[in-house]
Amino acid sequence: MHEYSLVQAMFDQIGDAMRRHGAVAVRRVRVRIGASAGVEPALFRTAYEVFRIRTACAEAPLEIVDVAASDELTLDRLELEVP
Amino acid sequence: MCDSCGCGDPKVISFDVHERILAGNDRAARHNREHFRDHDVVAVNLMGSPGAGKTAVLEATARAFGAQARLGVLAGDLATENDARRIRAAGILAESITTGNACHLDAEMVHRGLHHLPWRSLDYLFIENVGNLVCPAIYDLGQDVNVVALSVTEGEDKPLKYPTMFHKADLVLVTKIDLLPQLPDVSLDTIEENLKSVMPRPAMLTMSARTGAGIDQWVRWLEGIGGPRTAACSSAAGGGRAS
Repeated sequence: MHEYSLVQAMFDQIGDAMRRHGAVAVRRVRVRIGASAGVEPALFRTAYEVFRIRTACAEAPLEIVDVAASDELTLDRLELEVP
Repeated sequence: MCDSCGCGDPKVISFDVHERILAGNDRAARHNREHFRDHDVVAVNLMGSPGAGKTAVLEATARAFGAQARLGVLAGDLATENDARRIRAAGILAESITTGNACHLDAEMVHRGLHHLPWRSLDYLFIENVGNLVCPAIYDLGQDVNVVALSVTEGEDKPLKYPTMFHKADLVLVTKIDLLPQLPDVSLDTIEENLKSVMPRPAMLTMSARTGAGIDQWVRWLEGIGGPRTAACSSAAGGGRAS
């Protein structure tokens, strides 16, 4: 179940992006997961749902783009709320 | 607030990030790798199921090298110091990385573990990963090579069931071959076939830590990727490294 530590790493990345942009909340998160990334998209989503409670991502749906024949695992796009 | 259309909504910006989720781990791994290169240490990430024989491989490796090479081990486990104790008893420097509940090692854990091991003086650093054929595969630790131990008792189809792990392996060590007479349904040829279907550059060695069969080939393979430093090159940067 390394999906939890991956989501933790992604929250660190999102936190960095929010600081850079002075954002107050996250509106949408998009990740890309390759079929051979060694990551189960459903477990990644479950981990995200657990982690985001009472965080800046609480209202941010997660979109997962499945990428065939790739080991890609990237934070692809963010939508942030700024004051 | 949105000041373009007067809708009253908070302002929302959206942008591409395109950053690997493991970018932080990758940075830590690069840092470890630079350390290993600078000090001419060959780092081997040894992975495999619980009970695949990883610790026994290390004990046998220590016996085979004897005084010819300086070996060290960072042993990852959820709990206990058992592996590190066993390895120390075989005469190798060893330190435990107890991961708590984490199912894998990451580059930062390895970096912290190095603080407890005189790793700069080693020829080979073995990082014995947490017994698991899934999670450790995706974390770069800064190693030179990935080696996966696969015991004959685990079944021939493990490479097909856990392709990501075997895809990342530079070498698969098929262990416990002394048990083959008791396993009439297990064929080394089938294991090799299965490895060929998932490894980009298939490489397999067979061994028995108990009888010593195959240990020589394993030691030669290790010497091929690094090899003990000789007196002539021990002070020169980059000496003795093949890759």
